[in-house]
Amino acid sequence: MKLKRVLAMMLAAGMVCTSLTACGGSKTAETSAADSTEKTETTKSDEKATSTGEKKVLSVTTWDYDTSPTFQTVVDAYMAKHPDVEINVIDTSADEYNNSLGISLSAAQPDPDVIWVKDMGSMLQMADKKQLLPLDDFMKKDNFDLSIYNGAAEQLQYNDATYGLPYRSDWYILYYNKDLFDAAGVPYPSNDMTWDEYYDLAAKMTSGEGSAKVYGGHNHTWQALVSNWAVQDGKHTVVEKDYSFLKPWYEQAVALQDNGYIQDFSTLKTANIHYSSVFKNQQCAMMPMGSWFIATMIQSQASDETSFNWGIARIPHPADTEAGYTVGALTPVGISAYTDEPDLSWDFVKFATSEEAANILAEQGVFTGIQTEESLKTIASAQFFPEGDSNVEALTYTHYIFDRPLDPKITEIKTVLEEVHEMIMIKQYTVDQGIEELNKRVAEIKGW
Amino acid sequence: MKETKKTLKSHKMKAIRSNLIGYSFILPNLIGYAIFVFIPVIFSFVLSVMKWDGSRTPMEFVGLSNFVQIFNDRIFVQSFFHTIQYALLTVLPTLVLALLLAVLLNHKLKGIAVFRTALYFPYIASIVAVGAVWNMLFQPDFGPINEFLRFIGISKPPRWVVDVKWAMVAISIVSVWKYMGYYMIVYLAALQGISGSLYEAAGIDGANGFQKLRYITIPMLTPTTFFVLIMLTIQCFKVFDLVYVMTGGGPGNATKTLVNYIYEKAFTSWEFGPASAGALVLFSVVLVVTLIQFAGEKKWSKDLM
Repeated sequence: MKLKRVLAMMLAAGMVCTSLTACGGSKTAETSAADSTEKTETTKSDEKATSTGEKKVLSVTTWDYDTSPTFQTVVDAYMAKHPDVEINVIDTSADEYNNSLGISLSAAQPDPDVIWVKDMGSMLQMADKKQLLPLDDFMKKDNFDLSIYNGAAEQLQYNDATYGLPYRSDWYILYYNKDLFDAAGVPYPSNDMTWDEYYDLAAKMTSGEGSAKVYGGHNHTWQALVSNWAVQDGKHTVVEKDYSFLKPWYEQAVALQDNGYIQDFSTLKTANIHYSSVFKNQQCAMMPMGSWFIATMIQSQASDETSFNWGIARIPHPADTEAGYTVGALTPVGISAYTDEPDLSWDFVKFATSEEAANILAEQGVFTGIQTEESLKTIASAQFFPEGDSNVEALTYTHYIFDRPLDPKITEIKTVLEEVHEMIMIKQYTVDQGIEELNKRVAEIKGW
Repeated sequence: MKETKKTLKSHKMKAIRSNLIGYSFILPNLIGYAIFVFIPVIFSFVLSVMKWDGSRTPMEFVGLSNFVQIFNDRIFVQSFFHTIQYALLTVLPTLVLALLLAVLLNHKLKGIAVFRTALYFPYIASIVAVGAVWNMLFQPDFGPINEFLRFIGISKPPRWVVDVKWAMVAISIVSVWKYMGYYMIVYLAALQGISGSLYEAAGIDGANGFQKLRYITIPMLTPTTFFVLIMLTIQCFKVFDLVYVMTGGGPGNATKTLVNYIYEKAFTSWEFGPASAGALVLFSVVLVVTLIQFAGEKKWSKDLM
């Protein structure tokens, strides 16, 4: 009898436990893995040496490897240069990248060796968790010259250490569909346009009804596509005690949406529509988007997926600044703190961020941490890059503002920004309510 | 004397041996259970009083401050109430529909298996696919559901997953649709257990179909209903996947549930302490519900004897 009762209790505990595995379980699996790494590390590296012969294996993490030339190009180039090195690519979809990378790093395994960092926030998180190898010692040993990055490398320093070198540099520009502008008899967007002028142009370019409707502009669902313009003048960042500076920008975004000059946020969100399909299907005349989209468009034109004429202009600017202010972000590349190939990893990182790689990448329409006249020329002379000097001028900027500051809490704050952005765009909050919520929740996170 | 002692001993040995054989059969499962369930659960208990970011930096004991932190976190409290809201919206409709379907499908009709399969199918369908398809159905401007609602004269149908008030309802509708088939099977099994003589006797007394349902079927199914109720409640408290796929906790955080909160704390903010504390709160809720279930089980097993 007693035994039965005990068994029943155990079963009860078991049932409850099983019901919790979804949340409790996965977490701990990694830790036990972490505990056992000490032991496996040695055996694993031995295995590596024997199974692959003399070839050294370097594993790198990437996102959307197959669809973007960004990583492929440099990985292939490195392997071509070093036939004794094999690069093992660990690829994840962009949305899941930070999560999956974070979990695999928690296991503290010798793989991956080289890490492409998706955003600065996650770089800070990894640095705080000591998962990234500081590169300063390597740099000192090699007398590495940071000046080739024109200040970008210094932007990546955190707590006086360098955790990554700038691999890619992207900033916002305005894409437009030349065919639609020609058909409407409206002049193309200029390189010197304020956001108010952009608004008027979007209104002018909106036409049609129903499924044949062409929208003047297109805002993807990211909150960055509103807050970026609010920080474009460099006077504010997205981590502030008072968010009222966002007000005019949200008012404009909501007005664009209410008047039907851009697609409705809730439609984009529920149907999970990717911005590239909107532009490629000629459903919008203009679209503010990062410079990474140039490579996508070049690829699309080259593969005959699209065949309309397109162009680029500088991103419109706030009324209180001149043309040439833009907002952007760096994509760093760093080394895992648990790597078993630190020297080889450093060699790869050096190559990936070198001028040589920059020129190779430029041919693919990718902008790197090293911006030279030559690389700019290379991009502009790519076969499917839009013709005309204004398109080349569109790639120049005078001021480069980071889309978000180096704040250790930025990832959490970004979650709040996205949530509030959604609430404002679907009209569950007024702009003022949204700003109030932001002030409150960011203060909670920052402990203000 | 000596003889009996010896046989007693050999009896004991036999018993031990047969027990050992028995244990060896459950061992594989037990090991798996220990590694993947039991140890992790214990570990999450430990984590709930620790500060840890998931890296190799050592954990730091912080006592109950993780609990203090989450109970002071408005988002946690909101998530808790969202979970309850979801449970309230989901449990009863699922239960009632499962029962009705079971009663309807408890006949010997040609092709009944087809209907049963059709109703069971959502349960085994991939939740990601299901969520994506329902999201399209719920599309506020040209989704079929709202087209239909406008057709029958509702000029301003709800905006479903992009409306704070309706998003949870939308998720509940999908849940009901997905899970009622499973519980229908549970009810069907129970219906088979009701003796036909009861219905015959009632028929002789002149009871109509509804009366039979009301006075025979439903009372006889009480233990099953109780079981379904408990299982559904537990399941609702654990909801995560459907929310993640359909709304991601949005709009804003209107559909953020407990597990979504725990997930975000653990894998976006990398704060395993508060995340485990949240998991422990969820654990307590589920534990209480389970204990109620056991008490009930005992009561009914006695009644039936």
